[in-house]
Amino acid sequence: MRNTKKLITWMIWLLAFILIVFLLTRCNAKDNKTVKIVYVSKVLDDNNAFWFSLIEGTEIAAKEYGVELTILAPDSESDYEKQNDMIANAIALKPDAILLSPADNEKTLPAAKKIKEAGIKLILIDSQMAEPIEDALIATDNIEAGKKVGQLVNHLIKENSKIAVVSHVQGTSTAIAREVGLRIALGEDEKRIVDVVFSDSEYDKAYQVTKELLQVHPDVDIIAGLNEYSAIGAARAVRDLKLTDSIKLIGFDSSVEEIQLLESGVFDGIVVQKAFNMGYIGLETAIKILRGEEVATNIDSGSNIVRKDDIYTEENQKLLFPFR
Amino acid sequence: MTRKQGNLLFRFKSIRSTMIFFFTMIIAVALIVFLIISIRYTQENIMENSKYYTMQLIEQVNGDIDSYMDYMENISRLISKNKDVIDYLYDETATKEELDQIKTRVISQFQTISDARDDIYNIAVLSDNGRNVINDGKDQLNPYADIKQSEWYVKARQSNGIAVLSSSHVQNAIKDDYKWVVTLSCGIQNPNTGTIEGVLFVDLNYSAINNLCEGISMGSKGYVFIIDSQGRIVYHPRQTLLYSGLKSEKVEEALNGKQTNFTTVEGENSKLYTVYTSEKTGWTVVGVAYLSELMTGREETQLAYLITALFLIIISGIIAIILSSEISKPLKELANSMKAVQEGHFEHAEIEILEQNEIGMLSNSFNIMTQKIKELMEQIVREQRAKRKSELKALQSQINPHFLYNTLDSIIWMSESGKNQEVVLMTSSLAKLLRQSISNEDEIVSIYSEIGYTKSYLTIQKMRYKNKLEFEIDIKEDILNESIVKLVLQPLVENAIYHGIKYKEDGKGFIRIMGERVENDIVICIEDNGKGMDKEALNHIFDKKENKKSGGVGVNNVNNRLKLYYGSRYGLRFRSQVDVGTMVEVRIPVSSEEDSHYEKY
Repeated sequence: MRNTKKLITWMIWLLAFILIVFLLTRCNAKDNKTVKIVYVSKVLDDNNAFWFSLIEGTEIAAKEYGVELTILAPDSESDYEKQNDMIANAIALKPDAILLSPADNEKTLPAAKKIKEAGIKLILIDSQMAEPIEDALIATDNIEAGKKVGQLVNHLIKENSKIAVVSHVQGTSTAIAREVGLRIALGEDEKRIVDVVFSDSEYDKAYQVTKELLQVHPDVDIIAGLNEYSAIGAARAVRDLKLTDSIKLIGFDSSVEEIQLLESGVFDGIVVQKAFNMGYIGLETAIKILRGEEVATNIDSGSNIVRKDDIYTEENQKLLFPFR
Repeated sequence: MTRKQGNLLFRFKSIRSTMIFFFTMIIAVALIVFLIISIRYTQENIMENSKYYTMQLIEQVNGDIDSYMDYMENISRLISKNKDVIDYLYDETATKEELDQIKTRVISQFQTISDARDDIYNIAVLSDNGRNVINDGKDQLNPYADIKQSEWYVKARQSNGIAVLSSSHVQNAIKDDYKWVVTLSCGIQNPNTGTIEGVLFVDLNYSAINNLCEGISMGSKGYVFIIDSQGRIVYHPRQTLLYSGLKSEKVEEALNGKQTNFTTVEGENSKLYTVYTSEKTGWTVVGVAYLSELMTGREETQLAYLITALFLIIISGIIAIILSSEISKPLKELANSMKAVQEGHFEHAEIEILEQNEIGMLSNSFNIMTQKIKELMEQIVREQRAKRKSELKALQSQINPHFLYNTLDSIIWMSESGKNQEVVLMTSSLAKLLRQSISNEDEIVSIYSEIGYTKSYLTIQKMRYKNKLEFEIDIKEDILNESIVKLVLQPLVENAIYHGIKYKEDGKGFIRIMGERVENDIVICIEDNGKGMDKEALNHIFDKKENKKSGGVGVNNVNNRLKLYYGSRYGLRFRSQVDVGTMVEVRIPVSSEEDSHYEKY
C-alpha cells in the first residue's frame, strides 16, 4: 500500500532526525571557549607578602573558574610608565577582562581609558584612579584601614608624643586614603604629626627617609608605616639606630620580617589587608561581570588589626600566614 | 445519511488509522511508564551504591591516616625512648664534649629520619633545662615565640608520654620559619626524676595527608577533607580559600555523626557528604562527592532509555501500520467490492478469500450474496425482455381495420364499375399485405420483405387516391437481405399519407423511400412532400397519443420498438418544414451477431 510506505518512511525520517539532534547536542556541550583575563599588577616581588598573596589570590581564582590568566607587573611599584606600557600590552592580548592595580591616581588614567575603549571589562584591584571608569573596584577600604592605624597609634600616644608618617607613593589613592583615615582617627592628636614622608615603596628609600626624618625630628616617638615597604624600612632604620626602646612603630600589611618585628615588639601593632581575598574576589568579580551577573561596583575586601599577643589566634594565623 | 458522531478526539476515517493510533498509544504509554520506573529505580540504585562506595573509600582514607599516624607515633616513641636523646636532654653529669658527641648522634638520627620521609618538616626535642636538638642542629628556636603557650606543647606535657596530634597550625617555634603544619608531640620522661621534663615534636607537612586524600577518587570535582574534633579544618584541598573566608565548608553537619551520609541540596552543586570519625586521631574524614558526577551515568542512561523508548515507539508504530494494513486490507477490499456492487458492477465483485478467519467468512458470504443478487438481476432482465417481446407482438399485430374496410370498399367500388384490371392489382396487393401481417409470425423480417409489404400498402393507397399519390422506392441492393423489425416502414408511410399528403392543398403527393448503408448502420429515409410540421408539432411527434380513429400504429410505437430492439442509439429522426414536407429517417444497425444476441430474449 502506498500510504503505508509513506508512513514508514516518515517514521524513519523522524528517527534519523532524533539521532541527528542527539548527536548535535552532544557535540555542542563540549564547545566552550575559555575566558581570558590579564592582571596588570603594581609590582612583582616575591618578598612582598601583600602583592604575592594578591597575585596568588587571582591565580587560585583563575584555577577555580578555569580561566586563562596572564600576570604582568613592573619591578617597582612607583614605575607607572612601565605599567602603562604593560596595560597597552595587555590590551593587545585581547582579553575578556583586565584586572588592574593602578600605579598612579592620575597618570595611569589615560592608559586605563584605552582598556575601556577596546571594549574590555576593567576591574580595579587595590587602588583607584581619579576618574571612576572601572566596571568594579575591589580594594581595602583604605580610609577604614587608615583609621585602624590611627587606633593603634592612639594606644601609644603619651603626653609629648610626636608622630611621623612614612607613606608609600605620593599621589596613589591608597596613600591618600590611609592618611586621611589616620588623621580622622587621631582627631585632636592630628597635630602631633610632624611630618609625612614617602618611601616610593622601596625598603631602602623608606629606611633612608626615616633616618633623615629622625635627624630632623629627634623627638618623634611614634612612626606609622602606611604599607609594607614603608613600615619595614622605617623599622629597620629604628632598629639600626637602636631606638627600639624609645620609638614605637605601627606597621601595615604582613611579611615574615614584619611578623618577626611584631613578635619582637618593634611594631606595636599592624594593620593587615586581606590581599589574597582581594585578588580572589577581583578575578571572581571579573568573571561575574563577564557572565552578566549583577555585582557590587565597590567591594571592600577588609582589613584587620593584629597585635603582638594575638598573632597566633586561629583567625589571625590564617590571615598572616597564607596557607600554601 | 446521518452518522453517529464518536468522540471528537478519536474519530478516524478508517479502521486502519484507529488501529495504528491505539496500538501506538498503548505501546507508548506502557513504555513511558516503564521508562519512568526504570529511571527512578536506576537513580535510587546509583545513589545507594554511591553511598556505600564512598563510605568504603572514606573508611579506607581514615584507615590510611590512622596507620600513617601510627607510624609517626612509632617514630616519635623511638625518638623519645632513645638513649642518646634522653642522655643529651637529661644527663647532668656529662661533659660538654660528651654532650656534643651525643648531640651529633641525635642529629644524625634526625637526619636519617627526615631524609627518609619528606613529609617530616621539623623534628625537635626540647628540654626544660634549655637543651634542645632541632632538625640538623642549625635551626634555632624563635626567641620571641612563647612555645610553652602553644597547644601542642601544653598537651604533650599533659599526656604522660603518649603522642598527641595537633590540628593544623602555624609552627612558630623555629626562628625565621612560619609554616602550616600538623604537629605530633609527646613528653619525654627524665629517667632520673621520673617526671616529664621535655618535649619531642614532629611537624608534618601536608604532602603525606595530601597524597592519602587526593589518591581517593571522588569524581573530578569531589574531594576529601579532614577536620579535628573541634571542627577546625586540618586538611582541605581548598584550605587557602577556607582560611581566607572566601569559601566555607559544612563542618557543623560533619561533626554531628561518626559514620554518616548526608546530602546538600544546591541544585547543580548538590553534594553527598560521607563522614567517618577516627577513634584514634579524633579526626573526621569527610568525603564530598558531587551528585551530578555520581549521576553522570544518569543523564546518559536516561538518554539511552529515552532513545530506546523512542526507537521502540517508532518501530511499534511501523509494526502497527503493517499489522493494521494487514488486518484492514481484506476489510477495505470488501468495502471496495461492496461499493462496486452498490454501483452495479457485478463483474469484479468477486473477492479472493485469502484467510479462513472472520473476514474470510464475511467475504465468502458476500461472494455468495453477490452471486445470488447477480442471478436475480439477470432473471429480472430476462423477464423484462420477455415481457417487452410480448408487448411488441401485441403492438405489431395491430393492423388498422379502417384501412382494411376502406380497401375492401374500394375493391367493391372498382369491380362495380368494371375495372377488372385494377381490382386484380388491389386484391393481390391486399392479399400480400394480409399474408405478411397475419401469417408471418417472425418478429424480424428482411428489408426486402418489409419493403415489399410497404410497396403493397402504397400500391393500394395509390389506387385509392388515384392521381393524388405517387411513390418511388430506391433501396440499395446490398441491404435488401439485412433484417429489420417488422412493421416499421408501413406505419411511417401511413403516417406520411394521413398527416402529410392528405392535407396537401395542391399538386400531387409524392413519397420516396430510400435505403442505404452508412458505415455500420442502415438508414432508410421516407420523404413526403406533404403539409409538413412546424417546430411545435415536431417536438411533440413522439408524444404518446395514438390515433384511435385510424387505428394505425403510431410513430411513437415504431420509435419505441426500434429503441427497445436495437438500443437507444437507434430509432427515428424527423425533419420537417411546413408546406415543404417531412422526412423521417429510420436508423438500425447492420444485422450481425448482435442480432442473435437479441434473438435470445
